[in-house]
Amino acid sequence: MGTGERNREAHVPEGSGGAAAPRTLAEALRARGDDGLAALLRARPDLLSPVPNDLTQLATRAGTRASVVRALERLDRFALQTAEALAVAPDPAPYEVLLGLLTGDEGDATIEAALPRAVELLREQALVWGDDERLRLVRTARELLAPSPQHPSPTGLGPTVAEATSGMSPTRLQEIIATAGLGSTHDPVSAVTVLTELFTDRRRMGELLDTAPSDALTVLDRLVWGPPYGEVTANPAPPVRWLRDRGLLLPASPRTVVLPREVALHLRAGRAHRTPEPLPPAVAELRTYRPQVVDSAAAGQAHRALATVEELLREWNEGGPAVLRAGGLSVRDLKRTATALDLSEPETAFWVELAYGAGLLASDGEADERYAPTPDADTWLELPPATRWARLATAWLTATRTPGLVGGQDAKGRALSALGPELDRGVAPEVRHRVLTLQGTLTPGTSADPESVLARLQWDRPLRGTAQSGADLRARIATWTLTEAEHLGITGRGALSTHARVLLGLDTTGPTAPVAPLTPAELTARAALAAEAIAPLLPEPVDHVLLQADLTAVAPGPLERPLAEMLAVLADVESKGGATVYRFTAASVRRALDAGQTASDLHAFLAAHSRTPVPQPLAYLVDDVARKHGHLRIGAASAYVRCDDDAVLGEILADKRSATLRLRRLAPTVLAAQTDPATLLEGLRSMGYAPAGESAEGDVLITRAHAHRTPPRSAPAPVPDGPPTPDATLLGAAVRAIRAGDLASTVERKEAPQAPPHAPGELPRTSPADTLATVQAAAMTGSAIWIGYVNADGAASQRVIAPVRVEGGFVTAYDHTADEVRTYPLHRITGVAELADGAV
Amino acid sequence: MNGPLIVQSDKTLLLEVDHEQAEACRRAIAPFAELERAPEHIHTYRVTPLGLWNARAAGHDAEQVVDALVEYSRYPVPHALLVDVAETMARYGRLTLAKHPTHGLVLTTTDRPVLEEILRSKKVQPLVGARLDADSVAVHPSERGQIKQTLLKLGWPAEDLAGYVDGEAHRIDLAEDGWALRPYQKQAVDGFWHGGSGVVVLPCGAGKTLVGAGAMAQAKATTLILVTNTVSARQWKHELVKRTSLTEDEIGEYSGTKKEIRPVTIATYQVLTTKRKGVYPHLELFDSRDWGLIVYDEVHLLPAPVFKFTADLQARRRLGLTATLVREDGRESDVFSLIGPKRFDAPWKEIEAQGYIAPADCVEVRVNLTDSERLAYATAETEEKYRFCATTATKRKVTEALVKKFAGQQTLVIGQYIDQLDELGEHLDAPVIKGETSNAQREKLFDAFRNGEISVLVVSKVANFSIDLPEATVAIQVSGTFGSRQEEAQRLGRVLRPKADGHQAHFYSVVARDTIDQDFAAHRQRFLAEQGYAYRIVDADELLAGS
Repeated sequence: MGTGERNREAHVPEGSGGAAAPRTLAEALRARGDDGLAALLRARPDLLSPVPNDLTQLATRAGTRASVVRALERLDRFALQTAEALAVAPDPAPYEVLLGLLTGDEGDATIEAALPRAVELLREQALVWGDDERLRLVRTARELLAPSPQHPSPTGLGPTVAEATSGMSPTRLQEIIATAGLGSTHDPVSAVTVLTELFTDRRRMGELLDTAPSDALTVLDRLVWGPPYGEVTANPAPPVRWLRDRGLLLPASPRTVVLPREVALHLRAGRAHRTPEPLPPAVAELRTYRPQVVDSAAAGQAHRALATVEELLREWNEGGPAVLRAGGLSVRDLKRTATALDLSEPETAFWVELAYGAGLLASDGEADERYAPTPDADTWLELPPATRWARLATAWLTATRTPGLVGGQDAKGRALSALGPELDRGVAPEVRHRVLTLQGTLTPGTSADPESVLARLQWDRPLRGTAQSGADLRARIATWTLTEAEHLGITGRGALSTHARVLLGLDTTGPTAPVAPLTPAELTARAALAAEAIAPLLPEPVDHVLLQADLTAVAPGPLERPLAEMLAVLADVESKGGATVYRFTAASVRRALDAGQTASDLHAFLAAHSRTPVPQPLAYLVDDVARKHGHLRIGAASAYVRCDDDAVLGEILADKRSATLRLRRLAPTVLAAQTDPATLLEGLRSMGYAPAGESAEGDVLITRAHAHRTPPRSAPAPVPDGPPTPDATLLGAAVRAIRAGDLASTVERKEAPQAPPHAPGELPRTSPADTLATVQAAAMTGSAIWIGYVNADGAASQRVIAPVRVEGGFVTAYDHTADEVRTYPLHRITGVAELADGAV
Repeated sequence: MNGPLIVQSDKTLLLEVDHEQAEACRRAIAPFAELERAPEHIHTYRVTPLGLWNARAAGHDAEQVVDALVEYSRYPVPHALLVDVAETMARYGRLTLAKHPTHGLVLTTTDRPVLEEILRSKKVQPLVGARLDADSVAVHPSERGQIKQTLLKLGWPAEDLAGYVDGEAHRIDLAEDGWALRPYQKQAVDGFWHGGSGVVVLPCGAGKTLVGAGAMAQAKATTLILVTNTVSARQWKHELVKRTSLTEDEIGEYSGTKKEIRPVTIATYQVLTTKRKGVYPHLELFDSRDWGLIVYDEVHLLPAPVFKFTADLQARRRLGLTATLVREDGRESDVFSLIGPKRFDAPWKEIEAQGYIAPADCVEVRVNLTDSERLAYATAETEEKYRFCATTATKRKVTEALVKKFAGQQTLVIGQYIDQLDELGEHLDAPVIKGETSNAQREKLFDAFRNGEISVLVVSKVANFSIDLPEATVAIQVSGTFGSRQEEAQRLGRVLRPKADGHQAHFYSVVARDTIDQDFAAHRQRFLAEQGYAYRIVDADELLAGS
């Protein structure tokens, strides 16, 4: 369809309706209240960028293909089915006809009840306009949804008799109506009319079909629910010929026939859809727990989430894995991190992305780029656990990053890596919110059946799945959401927890109808409330451990941070969960001594934090390692081994394993090595000694972990899909602006005294619609016109041009003023005036 | 929210033993969780698929397991773990093995895809016969054990409903004159009998032989008993004659020297696994009678070929007895799948608390090597290192000091290396029992030790198992089979038989400091430490100075 045609819908009156009935979409919009306009702009925020000048422009924009496709994609299944039914109905169609197409001849109370809502929704979105007597589907939508040979209609209906017979010879048409038992008519138009009348008359049509051979009915059965096209040979079988002779099948091309829409509707008892779905599928209950059980299970998971993220930050504390050149984490590094956290790789990807999304991890931006905790991570670690959780939960709710994609491939077959680019999916926050609020429609403590949630999502946006890359992206995100919500402690045992209800702004006492996503400010406020709700459920940190004679320590709950940090150095973690089991080994005690602790420090530490007496074997272990620790000292400068006990040095020299270290005795108590100190240290350790490094001054070197941080980093902003939903202020302003512009362009002016069009210095003013019409007319006649023009810098000028082409919002014209062919955007032309004959 | 149990994400359960609900919790989780460690404050249980399936086999369902975890848990139980428990338990019983009047043994499924899946496995194919219908397939009756084991490994355990043969009846009663089965022994016998087959784990000295006798009295059928060696066979016979209605003539010995087959026959593993010209000539023993019960003594030592024979004996009741079901070869799961699941297990310390085994004081004595010894140790070849540090002269001095300290008490000195033992025997003026000592000589020396005629006995590892030395109060271990945990437990078992005067037993392990001897010792002690035996560590110098 050309630009001109679409614009006619916007501003050229069609037909002669009643005085009250709007004649164009623009008029229909004009008749709406401000609320109605605001609702349209909220539902279709793409119409707002940039803010349209007036309602005509708004109507034009609302009719563009891109915008209509976008709007259709966001319809729920029944609204879409309603639109599809309108697309196969006459234009305009009365409400009753539409209802008939949806319910069929038998009628259906449910559909009757649901239809007004669907029509209202389509009206609100400016996809349908006109009153109930004459409902019109916006032309672009009609084109998208109506059947055509190129893309079959979702209804499975074919073209109407009139459309299908448009190229047919009048003789053939007369033959058909004669065979169908109708008298001949004087012209093709009336022939089509009588044929259509026959097909739409249920009684006569029934009689006609009663005479049909049974094979012919089988053929019809195959085509009735679509696709309506069938291939035929040059000499078709008798049943097909019987149908074709009576116009029940019409030729679509030399080798194909089509079942006309009217016939199909008769066979379907008037229904446009095989299964109309007027009601959303209910979210099914899976199991019901006491809400306390759900909350405590969710809080348990929340605790685990915090522990996991903390562990991840600790793991990357001294500088995490390198950043791939294309961005993101290599598969090997992800695997390594997964092993370190003792989790599966997909789950690790989730936590890594979550920490990144919450601004706790980032790339350090140095030459050899690595991931590391941000300075913000240190601040986060100091927060109370409940606040820490709320921060993770809000980051997750609004994130567009979808860790579930990690490990898959993009459209070009490249692997998608965690933290890499290409992981942002604009629909993610919306789907996530939808899944959670759908769970919120159940009684607190009840878990939802995932299948029914997916079915509901499919009903919500039936077109979305197929339009996007990845046929089932929404379903996949929904599935991930369910798992991730469980990991994060948003849900417990599959049911939405109280703190999550608080976070989402739902009622905590009963089922809540889905609410709109919160604005960032509301979310922050809600996060604080959610933190309060979850705080009492999170386990209290404990300040003690139980030491046992098998050299283990059990912390019967989360440990206070300083205690946990010290124990992590002094012992190896053996088992994690609600409690932590530590095991003391000679190596772990040595690590603590290396970090600068002394044996007496360790004894005091163990005695202070143990509920039970320190077992003798543990005390002995500490003393035994301490006794040997630092017994041997190694210098970095010249790589030497020094020991007061010359027998030890003799022992080392005699040991064959020391050969690789190339040791040489310098003095009775000093050995020099040809290897670097690190190798030497390792070598001697592997021989069973506990050497210590020595500084130039002869002190023992203390090896302790150095924290590595990125420069200050802010969390990545979500990448939403399309423009954000405008807030009330913006909407109000936009509506006022459009109204004002519209008033200016449509107000009945007093017939001003005809000022000379080329009054010096004054730009001509015409409405955009007039401008377009004049320019198009000039292009057709090849005449020159005079325009007022504002260039990109805002400078106004007047030019005389001869338009050559008008398309896509631009005029290509020979500019008499500049003496060359130029292109002008239409919206920059303030006005046009025709030139007096012979002026050029 | 303040239960005694903490559920960890690695599927271990930590039970706080001092908690008031600890006992109730222990009872609730025992059917499905394995006790892994039992030190003083927190006991560790582990939830394994095998344990869950055994619980299913014993009639528990996933709901009960989940309830037990949720009820006693201090913190919320991870949802994933609960789901996993339910899913694992749901895998049990989809396949059943049952008797069929015409096809013998039939494997039936309630879930057709599972049957399809397992029939596609190369390991299952040779074990099954014709497909009978969509849901069942014939199984060669001789492969009953194999197929159960294979299915277990594939993660689809079969429920065995084929039952047991009664065997040839033979009257056996317990002669409870002046003694009775202890409560835990009774529980063990009942647990075994109701389960059909399985393993009973009891500490050394807690009377496993009597559990065997009790099981025989239940079965009242001909019985084959498999033991580790001839000495042990004689002791079984002696004990059975004393404790049951059986007479000497009803009990046969099937060993290297005698080949008697009687209603109750005691055979050694060694004779069964003797191979001549590529065949096991003594295997027919299993078929020589219609045995109603087969008892495996010291099941943790079961040699690999016996596993294979056992697979063919699935229709007979099987009882495994052991003190420590830790195998250094990691084949514990084969024991469970072929003999049967663990039917009874009691922590050592619990039996000790009931007074049926003596309390023991475990001490590790750390010996410093002299400078020259250290130098020699450092230059020793890798394979010689352990032998060198385990047999140092310094150890001898410590051993002598210890023997002197406990003079008058029945003392065993146990070691690995014959040279070391000979030398010790010489210095301590004590007889040495080793591999080359004849059985007659061994029994003579044991009798003398029992009667108190000699108070110090030096023994090699030949005496590791099933010798009954009632009055040994002190054991001194100078060297061992590297890091063997079960050897350590067996050796401690030598002194755990309750003392007449109820006094404490002493177990000393002499270890060379800063050598691999010390590493091995740490590994050896792990099992006992996990059973709650806290080793004290003392320096040899202190000990020598104190004596």
